[in-house]
Amino acid sequence: MNIPIKIVFGIVLFMLTEVKARPVSYPGGWTLMLKNNNYKNSVHAHYSLSSYTSLGYRFEYLRENNYSLNAFQINRLLKRWNEPNSQANLYIKSAIGNANSYKKKNNNKSSFAGFFGFSADWENQRYFISYDNRYIEAGEIDSFYQQSFRFGIAPYIGDYGDLHTWLMIKLEHIPEAHQNLSLTPHIRLFKGFHLLEIGANLKSKIMLNYIFRY
Amino acid sequence: MKKSLIKFFILLVLFNFSYSIGNTKVIYAFVNGLVCDFCARSLEKTFEKEESVKSITIDLQEKLITIVLKKEKNLEDSKIIKLVNDAGYDVKEIKYEK
Repeated sequence: MNIPIKIVFGIVLFMLTEVKARPVSYPGGWTLMLKNNNYKNSVHAHYSLSSYTSLGYRFEYLRENNYSLNAFQINRLLKRWNEPNSQANLYIKSAIGNANSYKKKNNNKSSFAGFFGFSADWENQRYFISYDNRYIEAGEIDSFYQQSFRFGIAPYIGDYGDLHTWLMIKLEHIPEAHQNLSLTPHIRLFKGFHLLEIGANLKSKIMLNYIFRY
Repeated sequence: MKKSLIKFFILLVLFNFSYSIGNTKVIYAFVNGLVCDFCARSLEKTFEKEESVKSITIDLQEKLITIVLKKEKNLEDSKIIKLVNDAGYDVKEIKYEK
């Protein structure tokens, strides 16, 4: 890996992330999501054309197999259930781009790559549940499936503009990974345009996530 | 003479103030799916773009948006419903200030 790429990864690692990743915002809304866990680091910036569709760019570094993914991503809200005190969503996410391996044995291979997945969430002001999956195909470099489940509870209920706090736990499963299950308790702090998540999995791998939405 | 002028000026200001208040319409819309700050911000951004809207406040506890219109402006129920739907939410009920 050359020096500039290391610097970029260093910045990403420092900012880290995993998010209340609603893949579609409000019409005309911009979102920046930085995500890091023991498997990967990623940056996803998207623009919402409507409350149903967002278009964006994703950079991802997959640590275990030492390669990166650059892709254009499109997210689509398939269905939203708006209830008086809760909301549920079903999204489809797909991306298409290029993967670059940094493994010496792969001799810096490059390959057409993409992924496809679903995510679903339900929340009210007290509880939050989400499920997320995707299948990544990166040709000769890698291909794998991953899924995650998250549960959260708010210790208090704030009003608009307050600091919102969530105590959460995330279970991530990647069958092909060396550590195929990862359980990560974390805290989510959410105020205004900013959302921050801090936690660590049971192997003490730190998670620090950030979302900016405007 | 000077006191009379001051009284006249004060009356003029009060009249103008009450006239302004009297012509400012306030609409209350109860919204389904309004459960977080991102949802609230989404609605705020959507309504702020409307030319007839003077201000908007959001109460997450009550799932209520309060829309204050500019003087002599109106906002039809159908338009409010469309704006809320476009932002990704549903209107449960619309009320007007009596």
